[in-house]
Amino acid sequence: MTTSRLDVDSDQLGRDLVALVLTVVELLRQLMERQAIRRIDQGDLTDSQVDEIGTTLMLLDQRMAELCEQHGVRPEDLNLDLGPLGSLLPRD
Amino acid sequence: MEREVVPWDNAEPLSGPIGVPLVDLLDRVLATGVVISGDLVIAIADVPLVRLSLHALLSSVNERVPAPWADGGPL
Repeated sequence: MTTSRLDVDSDQLGRDLVALVLTVVELLRQLMERQAIRRIDQGDLTDSQVDEIGTTLMLLDQRMAELCEQHGVRPEDLNLDLGPLGSLLPRD
Repeated sequence: MEREVVPWDNAEPLSGPIGVPLVDLLDRVLATGVVISGDLVIAIADVPLVRLSLHALLSSVNERVPAPWADGGPL
């Protein structure tokens, strides 16, 4: 007799949930980054505003990398393959 | 005669119909700006009960679409 058992690893489950949340956050972060570049290209921001945006985006990027490391998620895990729609984030 | 190669001919994972990641697509949509409008009526047994009317503007802040508040808003 064969017994089949499904082991639901709570660690794995938690990690996947974290990856999902981080994916959404990373999408928003990259979108904001692109929008910020457009806004800076328009040239209606002061130098200090540009500085502040740059610093904030850099800190966000660092924080994302830290969070990925803490939860054992590789940064490339955040890039979902949307099938015929292509990928979510640009492939490096 | 050689046939034109289409993106779905090769076996590798698709890079999308236009080869652009979704985040770049969203960026371009925001740069152009879109208006989403819709009407939703929830009815039970042919009796309309709730009406939801949506008119949403989704766009980057630029000279055509200024922010509604001068400096960062009432935060």
